[in-house]
Amino acid sequence: MSKEVNDIKKTALYEIHLKHGARMVSFAGWKMPVQYESIIKEHEAVRSYAGIFDISHMGEFLLEGKDVIEFLQYIMINDLKLLEPSKGQYSCMCYENGTVVDDLVYYEENPERFRMIVNAANIEKDFQWLTDHLEEFDVKITNLSMKRSRIAFQGPKADENLQSLVDVDLSQINRFYFAHCNIQSNPIFIARTGYTGERGFEISFENEFAEKIWNSLLNTGAIPAGLGARDSLRLEACYSLYGHEISNSITPVEAGLSWLVKPKEGIDYIGKEVLMKQKSEGTKRTIVGLNLVDKGIIREHYKIFKNGNNIGYVTSGGYSPTLKKTIGLGLVEKQHSEIGTKIEIEIRNKLLGGEIVTTPFYRNV
Amino acid sequence: MDYEFPDGLKYATTHEWIRIENSIATVGITDYAQHQFGDIVFVELPEVGMVFEKGSNAAEIESVKAVGDLIMPLSGEIIGVNQNLADTPELVNSSPFVDGWMIKLAFSHASEIDELLSVDKYKQIIQNEEH
Repeated sequence: MSKEVNDIKKTALYEIHLKHGARMVSFAGWKMPVQYESIIKEHEAVRSYAGIFDISHMGEFLLEGKDVIEFLQYIMINDLKLLEPSKGQYSCMCYENGTVVDDLVYYEENPERFRMIVNAANIEKDFQWLTDHLEEFDVKITNLSMKRSRIAFQGPKADENLQSLVDVDLSQINRFYFAHCNIQSNPIFIARTGYTGERGFEISFENEFAEKIWNSLLNTGAIPAGLGARDSLRLEACYSLYGHEISNSITPVEAGLSWLVKPKEGIDYIGKEVLMKQKSEGTKRTIVGLNLVDKGIIREHYKIFKNGNNIGYVTSGGYSPTLKKTIGLGLVEKQHSEIGTKIEIEIRNKLLGGEIVTTPFYRNV
Repeated sequence: MDYEFPDGLKYATTHEWIRIENSIATVGITDYAQHQFGDIVFVELPEVGMVFEKGSNAAEIESVKAVGDLIMPLSGEIIGVNQNLADTPELVNSSPFVDGWMIKLAFSHASEIDELLSVDKYKQIIQNEEH
């Protein structure tokens, strides 16, 4: 057996996935369900009703200490002045050159205690990055990733289905806010956040409650959904995925996330100089929505052409079960990024006709 | 996992099935193969009249998650393609051995038929892949 096989991690819900007949794949060092019965059915269930996703592969850190806010103001590009206790914020932490270490959400439990959820593939890198920048800050970082499990409960019926299980009024939790409560006496952290373009929640809890909570959620009629549907849903909603639309070679401004880059007067945060300059002067490249006029499926890495010149590449592509056609996102030269621009996408050595279109393709939040 | 393995067909190690009638072979992908792909959303078929060697890619099959090939199980000329797949590629999932057929070909080397697998041999290969 190879080293990778030996080291592969399993979530607390691994056995349950097998019982549901999931097809398991390796993803960011984890064995995860890519689909149960059908990606399209799971996708449609989330758009029309509700789906549950095991997202325990994602990282969860706790940051505690009297300098947490000051530390995060230094390391994050978004402005924590917009935050308050019981609220979360989407942000990126960037390198000095403006490219991205990771995109993430942190939640303010109180001014000296923050919970942070990061991408599975970046857990070690992020933990190291945060630790390396602690310097004089009075902050303690704890990696809770392996101790706790996480589930996303997403879909137009998420509120209704979940309300009967929890001892908190979900209508009082606005988008990006969170609460601590119980699902049938099992303590959870619950936030109104998600990555599907639907209403819904993300919850986090100790591993020991994982099976009980999963089964309670399943009993509401929600459909288990895998990484395949998670990706097709987020692509329709045009949420950036690390390693695709943002990465250590693409900045948030290039990715259309300029709104995350805040002036934060008097705070010299990492990446500020480059990002504020890009925000005011523009960038040479930008992420755009892609539509294929000819028949085919757009896939990551395919080259994009305009009048025979390579102007960029596809960062994410696939089939949209909601729109019943192929959709994609691509990084192209700014001068060719206008909506309606005719382009060609190279698929298996053939140039197929396409067009730059408005994004998102679908969102219902 | 239980898959369909119809009798009376030949199979290829690359998960195509082949129905030989007179000197014409009808080719599609097996039930096992369609399960591996998951929801198939696009099939790019060759044009009638194209000639392929055994082992070359005759069609591209795209599911939500993956891209794969239909490998020519026999050398020959394409004499027909399943036009229905243009608008309903999901036929490959719902009916891999009947409505989801992909190409008809006039094979050029009848001797290549002997190299194809019987249903029992093919079942064995699947059992080994599953374990």
